[in-house]
Order: sequence, then C-alpha cells, then structure tokens
Amino acid sequence: MANTEVKAMRRPEYKRGEKMAGSIMSLPAVLLLLAFLVVPIIYTIYYSFFKYQVMRPDSITFHGITNYLKLFGDKDFWVALKNTVYFTVLVVPIQCVLALALAMLVTSKRRGVSIFRTMYFSPQVTSMVVIAILWTILYNSSATTGLINAFLKNMGMGPVDFLNNPKTAMNSIIFMSAWQGAGYQMMIFLAGLNGIPAEQYEAASVDGATKVQQFLYVTIPGLMNTIKYVLMITLIQAMKLFTQPYIMTKGGPQNTTKTLVFYIYEQGFQKGNFGYACTAATIFFIIVVVLSLIVKKLTKTS
Amino acid sequence: MKLKKLLCVGLATVMTMSLTACGNNASSNAVNGDQTGSKASGDTINLTIWSPTDEEPIENWWVEKLAAWNEAHPEIQVSREAIDRSDSYAYENKITTATTSNDLPDILYVDGPNVSYYAANGIIVPMEGAFSEEEMADFMPSTVQQGTYDGQLYAIAGTESSVALFYNKDYLDAAGIQYPSDSDVKDAWTWTEFYNNAEKLTTEDYVGTNIIMDKGEGLIYALGQFWTENNADLISEDGAVADGYVNSDASIATAEYLAKFIQNGYANLDPVKDEFLNGYAATMLGGSWNIADLEKSDMNWGVSYFPVSDDGKASSPTGDWAAAITKNCENVDAAKEFMNWLMSSENIAAYASAIAKPASRTSAYDQMEGWDEGARALMLWQLQNTGTARPSSPSYSVLSTDFASALLNIFSGADAKTEMDNVASDVDENYETYYAE
Repeated sequence: MANTEVKAMRRPEYKRGEKMAGSIMSLPAVLLLLAFLVVPIIYTIYYSFFKYQVMRPDSITFHGITNYLKLFGDKDFWVALKNTVYFTVLVVPIQCVLALALAMLVTSKRRGVSIFRTMYFSPQVTSMVVIAILWTILYNSSATTGLINAFLKNMGMGPVDFLNNPKTAMNSIIFMSAWQGAGYQMMIFLAGLNGIPAEQYEAASVDGATKVQQFLYVTIPGLMNTIKYVLMITLIQAMKLFTQPYIMTKGGPQNTTKTLVFYIYEQGFQKGNFGYACTAATIFFIIVVVLSLIVKKLTKTS
Repeated sequence: MKLKKLLCVGLATVMTMSLTACGNNASSNAVNGDQTGSKASGDTINLTIWSPTDEEPIENWWVEKLAAWNEAHPEIQVSREAIDRSDSYAYENKITTATTSNDLPDILYVDGPNVSYYAANGIIVPMEGAFSEEEMADFMPSTVQQGTYDGQLYAIAGTESSVALFYNKDYLDAAGIQYPSDSDVKDAWTWTEFYNNAEKLTTEDYVGTNIIMDKGEGLIYALGQFWTENNADLISEDGAVADGYVNSDASIATAEYLAKFIQNGYANLDPVKDEFLNGYAATMLGGSWNIADLEKSDMNWGVSYFPVSDDGKASSPTGDWAAAITKNCENVDAAKEFMNWLMSSENIAAYASAIAKPASRTSAYDQMEGWDEGARALMLWQLQNTGTARPSSPSYSVLSTDFASALLNIFSGADAKTEMDNVASDVDENYETYYAE
C-alpha cells in the first residue's frame, strides 16, 4: 500500500488530454533528434560494414568486418588515437584550472570587473576558424612576420618553429585551445561561484579560516557539481578536436597533430574511403560514449 | 519494461525507414519540380556552374560573359556559383558531398589531374560532339590530353598554366649572383645552382626561395617536376601501381633534395601570403598567374626557366582547371552548346588575358597581347617544349593527398623512405579495393 503511494507521488497521474498534449509538444524535438542524431548514427554503423567509395554510391558492397580488421591494423589510426588522448589529457586540466582561476579573478565586486569578464569571454564568441588563422600568424616561425617570435627575438631567444616542429606543434595547439575555450568554462564557474551562499564565507572567516582555507573548504566543495559538469563537457569537446589542426597544421608535422576526427575526415572526404571512415567513426563514437559513462559514474559516487 | 524498450526500438526503426523514404522522395521531387518549373517559364533550361573563387579579373569575366550569354539565349539561362578553395581541398570536399547527395551542378570545374578520378567514378560524363574536329585541333595537345580519359573527352580547359623561377633582381645584385637566363633553357639554374644560390640569398630579412605554393594539390603540381627531371615516376603509366615508383631511390633522393631547402632555412614551410611579392623571399617557383600582380608592383623582378636537373633535363608543370558536364546534368545538349561558346577562341582570349594565363587554344593568341616576349613568352615556350602533365590514375586523389602529407612530413624532418613507402602502400591498396578487375 505504502509502496504504491510512493510510486504515485513520484509519477503523478496525468489526464489523458494532458498526456496527448505532452506527446504532441515533444514530437518536433523527438523527430529532429531522430533525423539529425539517431538516423545518422545508425547509418554510420550500417555503412561501416560496407566497401563504399564516396564517388560510387551505386556500387556499395558488403564487406563484413574487413574494415574493422583493417582499422585495428592501421598505424595511422593508432597515432591519431594517441594524439587525441594526449591533447585531451593535457588540455582538460589546463583549461579547467585556467577557467576557475579566471572566474575567481572576475568574481570580485570591484569596479570595471565586467570589462575583464567580457574580455576573457570574447575568444569564445569568435569563430574557431578565425582564431586558428590568427594564431597561425602569431606562431609563424619568422621573426619578421610571427608576433611571438618577434617578441622572443627581442628577448634574445632564437626563433621557434612552433607549428612545424613535431615537438612543439601539438603543445602550441593545446595552449591556444585552452586560451580559447577557458572563457566558456569561466562563465559556468562564475554561475557556480554565485551559487555559494556568502554566509558560508562569513562563518569560515569568523572561525579564523585563511583565504586559502576558505578556497579549499568552502569554494571547492560548493563548486563540486559545477566542476563535474565542466570536466565532462571539456572532455567530450577535447575528444572532438578538428578545426585547429585542420586550419593550422593539416595534421602535420609528421602526423603529430592528426586527431581521430581529422583521420575520419581525411579518409572519408579526401581519399573517398567512405565505408572505412564510417568504421573509424563508429569506433570513435563507442570511445566517447564509454568515456562519458565512466566520467558519469565516477562523478556520481563521489 | 522490456516490452516498452522493444516498442521504442521498433518505433525508432520504423520512423527511420519512413524518414529515409521521405528523403528519397523529396530529392526526386525536387528534380522533377525543377523540370516542371522550367517548363512553365517557357521551356527555359537552367544550367548551373561551379568553379573555384578566383581573382577579381576572372570574377568580372564571369559576370560579363554570363550576362552576355543569358541575354542572347533566353532559352538557356546559366548561373555560376563561386566555391572557395581555401588553398587546400575544400572545393574537392564540396564536390564529394554533392556527389553523395546528388546535388552536383550541371557544369563543374575540375582540376586537371582529377579528371581521371572523376571520370573513372562516373561523376562527369563524356562530352563528345561539343567541339568540331577543327576546333579540337585548335586546342593545345596537353589540354586535350589532360581532359581525356579512356579515349573520351571528359573535360576541357580554357587556359593552361606553367611554373617558372621568378627572382628579385635587387636581392640577386646584393648577393652578387648573375641573373639566370630567360632566353636559353641550357643556361637555366641547375638543381645544384638553385640550392647554392638559395643559400647565398638567404638573409635575416628574407629567405632564398619560396617553393611552397600551397599545402594541398600545389605540392604535386609545382614540385612534381623535380621527380620528372630526376627520372622518377610517381606511379606506373596505367596509374595502377605506385610501389616501386613513388618509393624508388630516385624519388626519395628528390624529396631529400627539396627538404634541405626547408630544413636549412632557405625556404619557409609556412610562407606568408605573397611572400615573394612582399620582399620576404628572393626567388620563387611561381606560376603564370603571378605575372599580372608582379607587373603591377614596383618590384624589380625577372624570370627564368624552371630549374633543370644537373644533367640538363628540363620539365615544367602544366594543366589548369577544366570544365566538365556532370552526371546530374539533365540537359547535356544544352550544356555542350554552352560549353562550345564558353570555350570559344574569343572568350578564352579574354579570360586568359585577364589573368595573364596562357590560353589553351592556338588561335586565341592572335587576340592576346604580350605573349611574344618577356615572362609570358617564357611560360608559353615551357608549355610547348618542357610541359609535363601530372600522373593520371583513378586513385589520383589518394596519391595527391598522401604525396602532399608525406612531403610536408619529410620537410619537417621525417624519414623520406618510410613516408614514401606509406604513400605507395596506401595508393596501391586504394586501387586494388575499388578499381582492380
């Protein structure tokens, strides 16, 4: 008896008309989701088992798991996976810490702080393509055209070929990506910071907590949910890295900036191996889903 | 609960199917709609053209010529869409997407070597009969050869192209280097001279030369000549086998020769836009299309032949974007009629003059000025004497992409042998998968 009561509490009974209205109202969203998310995913998985030259949609032939076997034996695929993981592992903490630091800076109630808030957020509003082109110029190896190298030269340091040296290319992209993306996370952290009641800080300072202790024992616990959310979106965003290497390095030098999405694009569009690209996309999809599930699980228990 | 899940999945599948069915209907409706639409407006045929966004004089040429055609031919209305190339494969990607969705225009501009790729895959259709035999004889042999696949004409270009060595006279004077010849190919810079001079010319303010046209097709187009001069083919003559060609010793040696320019800092891997024109490079492997801008500038420049091998073998790039009729064209006859007019001597002469490109028809030169002397005469001479077409293969898109990335990798320090081996196995695998009988 009590059990059914609880159930009734959780799931209020709607009238028939209301139910209908609810379904009808959600229909457009469901249809769009199906058309632009579910169907493409199903198609991608479907074509991953076929031999499909992009220019020949008439002669698609079933290929079994040949594509998968080829993919797992493809050195370039593993390199791309390694690069993607490297980027993600570095950019996620850097970007999140940077975002939190910026958020702490602009959360104070000093005058003119909103100008800084806008400034930090502005890279986020600009298209990534534009930013990538700008940074290509900043990173240019010549001291006469590259701003950063001109600066280094004045400091008496040799020119660094940021984007064409296999050792620096990916790190250069990580730096500019963190710089570009941090503004967005900063805004989310700001909202989180505003959600922490001022009384907690007051209580802490009455108890004699230093600023550092306040940060560790009030701010961080108060932000926990925000941090989980930010980590998750940054992680997924980072896995999808494409624009920066496409514009700035074309996957080079020596494939050090070739990411999974870049690999999929190159196979599907430039080389015309559409079925094979679908195979790589399917694997990528599985990796991202598994990763999201893990992150979700980890953040739930803590 | 399980039943519910099952129902959900079932429903999703049904909806998926109905949606795809809708998709198919919609596309065929659109095609039909177009037809009925054009019939309603007095039997007007609408033709669309795609070509890459070009320099201003060419963009103006298109506006002017299409206006003239549309006024004279109310029954065939032609419109053009300029598609950005972004110094890479952006334009080709657009074609790829349009192919999968059957949204190709009626007439498509394709880069010369891609003719074989598109023709082998049935993207473009033969345009036999668009030109009379007499007219065909008027086109340069290299133009016809480039547009022909499997014995049939698939594409025709209005212009040709060539690449030569441009140099900044002031910088050569400063380094005490004699100007290379523009009258006898025997006195052109050899590989060794080209390299040594690039070294001498490099200063704090500018590099010795510019060999990077772009990081896509430009690599195989402009630099592929070094392979020809070194007797290294990139692929077998029938376009089926790359192993033993692109990764031959001569091929690797050629790549290593070019890599020294970049690695020693005599040329930039990422040149700024118009590096030579702005004085940041002392010499440049520049195209015939660069002449117009150079003439407008106040720079003190000269031109010589494309560098020749140390034993004197000369080669130079050829080929240009060519117009083809696509498989989605519904009025092939109208397209052929338009094409015949578009590629008339007069139109070609105007087009070629606008951008200082060599015309593809001999008779066009009667209406063009300046091709009997200077840089233009040198380009024309190269076209007629040393021009070599890029390799032809149904797997060309893979060859071009892989060759470009291999070369860029080698330039930034990767092992040439490994890189070229990768190209060979990738190209061969592609051919075997899709084209081998």
